[in-house]
Amino acid sequence: MTEPVAPGARLPPNRRMDALPPSADRGGPAQPLLRLDGLVKHFPLKGGLLGRTQAVVRAVDGVGFEVRKGETLGIVGESGCGKSTTARLLMRLLDPDSGTMVFDGEAVGGSAQVGGLPLREYRRQVQMVFQDSYASLNPRLPIEDSIAFAPKVHGLGNAEAVRRARDMLAAVGLAPANFARRYPHELSGGQRQRVNIARALALRPRLVILDEPVSALDKSVEAQVLNLLVDLKEEFGLTYVFISHDLNVVQYISDRVLVMYLGEVAEIGPVERIYEHPAHPYTAALLASRPSMDPSRRRTAPPLTGDPPNPVNPPSGCRFRTRCPHAEAVCAERKPIMADLGGGHAASCHIANPGSGHSLAEKVAA
Amino acid sequence: MSLVTLRDLRVTFRTRDRTVHAVNGVDLDLAAGETLCILGESGSGKSVTLRALMRLLPRFAEVQGRVEVAGQDVTRMSEGELTDFRGRDVAMIFQEPMTAMDPVFTIGQQIAETVRRHERVSRAAAEARALELLELVQIPSAKRRLAAYPHELSGGLRQRAMIAVALACRPKLLLADEPTTALDATVQIQVLLLLRDLQKRFNMGVIFVTHDLGVAGEIADRVAVMYAGRVVEEGPVSGLMSGPLHPYAQGLLGATVHPGMRGKRLTTIPGAPPALDREPTACAFAPRCDRAHDACLAEVPSLREPVPGRRARCVLVPDARAESPGLVPAGV
Ligand SMILES: Nc1ncnc2c1ncn2[C@@H]1O[C@H](COP(=O)(O)OP(=O)(O)O)[C@@H](O)[C@H]1O
Ligand SMILES: Nc1ncnc2c1ncn2[C@@H]1O[C@H](COP(=O)(O)OP(=O)(O)O)[C@@H](O)[C@H]1O
Ligand code: SF4
Ligand code: SF4
Ligand SMILES: [Mg+2]
Ligand SMILES: [Mg+2]
Repeated sequence: MTEPVAPGARLPPNRRMDALPPSADRGGPAQPLLRLDGLVKHFPLKGGLLGRTQAVVRAVDGVGFEVRKGETLGIVGESGCGKSTTARLLMRLLDPDSGTMVFDGEAVGGSAQVGGLPLREYRRQVQMVFQDSYASLNPRLPIEDSIAFAPKVHGLGNAEAVRRARDMLAAVGLAPANFARRYPHELSGGQRQRVNIARALALRPRLVILDEPVSALDKSVEAQVLNLLVDLKEEFGLTYVFISHDLNVVQYISDRVLVMYLGEVAEIGPVERIYEHPAHPYTAALLASRPSMDPSRRRTAPPLTGDPPNPVNPPSGCRFRTRCPHAEAVCAERKPIMADLGGGHAASCHIANPGSGHSLAEKVAA
Repeated sequence: MSLVTLRDLRVTFRTRDRTVHAVNGVDLDLAAGETLCILGESGSGKSVTLRALMRLLPRFAEVQGRVEVAGQDVTRMSEGELTDFRGRDVAMIFQEPMTAMDPVFTIGQQIAETVRRHERVSRAAAEARALELLELVQIPSAKRRLAAYPHELSGGLRQRAMIAVALACRPKLLLADEPTTALDATVQIQVLLLLRDLQKRFNMGVIFVTHDLGVAGEIADRVAVMYAGRVVEEGPVSGLMSGPLHPYAQGLLGATVHPGMRGKRLTTIPGAPPALDREPTACAFAPRCDRAHDACLAEVPSLREPVPGRRARCVLVPDARAESPGLVPAGV
């Protein structure tokens, strides 16, 4: 004979999560998890006599791509090319000036009545981890309270939210008994980044945006966190957008890679294609800028000269033309279109576009 | 004669709330015209070691050991001698160029000023030297840039300008503290190749601190790997990168993501470096080492030399000198 038990008081551990369950898949595996089209975000530069807007930073200037279910999409590019702005747009921490975002078939930001996905619901399904491991932790709260915060906001009861926080701490390899009541400053950088990952996963999101998550960590700790991210993706069935300036890390973790230059997509494709057969001269130069790791085969000449130009006043035509070793007149005159190279590989360069008029492009029969 | 001789360098920071044993017995030698990389994770004592060579540590730091640069005992220099020594014999460049530059003077003024501090030359000659230096570090439109303030330059150009200031008086020794760490890959490789070129041209000795194995691979002749304030492995760069001797160096190499590792699980080093509130009295890596045993805890392992020129501070590494004393040259 069993004693009467209050409902829910003795749920087995695997059912605890059900109070705020992960959102169900809608469109099936072939439908992209996220589709972006023509995303634009300009920042006004204030200045001049009356504080009038003098110019704009074209941080993200017409970016479109899709994130497929279950993949890791890497985003690389030099500082200032718009990676973090893209991440903040994806998270809707910023509103785009224009462009559309569709999450698993539903327009982001609409209302349920018109078939859209309300922002509040979207934000539950998409979470973010930042480079600065202090940025999203309240310094005055024990870490379990920081982790439990979002689940509470989304309606989980206090005890349930704390239990969720402890489960997540265990999942990221921090024994709750030991760590739950510690404060952020009592942890190492690597441990804090684990807490941030736990915080991001506490709402059981489907998409996690990682903006330089390991860039501030030492190498031995970086490897621990990368292994953890690989494990969590599997365990929780996640999809990642992984942003980094480290080409080796992006190659290691990504299924597909997107290369950004001055607010635009330069190239996108499967990781092997991008690293072994880059179609955009900028991608090739980035790859050739990596230290060789072999002292007997050192780099002899830098692939590019100068710094990336300023996104306030980007060059006409192809934005890479001021540093491109293959630039020709056509590159200043016309902006290249995205050339479809097959197999999901595309590059925005006149050389890749037959008939573009670039001397290295295939000619098209007249 | 060696350009730098460091023997048993120890640096301790003692404040009211805590003590840090930052450097715990470092020996290093650098020959003229040689490039040595000090490689290690944050907090391992790289910057403190570098600063000790120029006596740039705060006054409250307790510094012990022998520090000789270009035949001079740095620990005994007077303030006046130090001023002459810095800039003339040894110069330093940093990750953040503004650390080394004055925001209210133009690049040209800063170089000319440095030159005139150390050499009796006319203003015109110093200004000519400034222009020559900006050209040397490949700053485009050098003439125009002489009149630029540091904040008016892009990151890569500012780094070059800082190098120009450092080289103003042709120092014999250049100390570089992660000068490319904050740069983008395409700019980092430009600055590394520039430094390699300048080092050769002036036959400078360079000590280059980095946490990046790839950077060491591009510019080092020799590498010293630091852990918890000690050098745990030292030797030619090629040997370190193809077959590190010390378990920590092996772990670091395995944990550094490089091409071809896709789909494989990364090797990690569990845990984190020790707090240095006490000086480690055993192998400081033992708590993280999967080969640790009693001998590792008995005392600080000595530096062993399994092959000439390569040394490691691990009890598992055989010491060829000890095993065949006949090979040790007299006087060692
Ligand atoms: N809030 C903002 N206001 C003004 N400019 C901004 C703002 N955020 C970013 N920017 C500018 O937008 C450009 C892209 O920045 P960011 O997206 O952070 O690039 P990345 O992450 O690739 O380094 C940069 O020139 C940056 O200075
Ligand atoms: N001025 C200082 N006062 C107190 N502690 C310091 C000071 N400078 C460095 N330290 C400590 O000494 C240790 C070694 O520092 P550092 O040489 O800068 O490491 P690295 O350059 O290898 O990252 C660290 O624990 C650091 O906190
Ligand atoms: S379009 Fe022209 S300038 Fe741009 S990447 Fe291609 S070749 Fe270079
Ligand atoms: S001395 Fe012992 S603990 Fe230290 S590195 Fe060698 S085997 Fe590991
Ligand atoms: Mg960023
Ligand atoms: Mg340092």
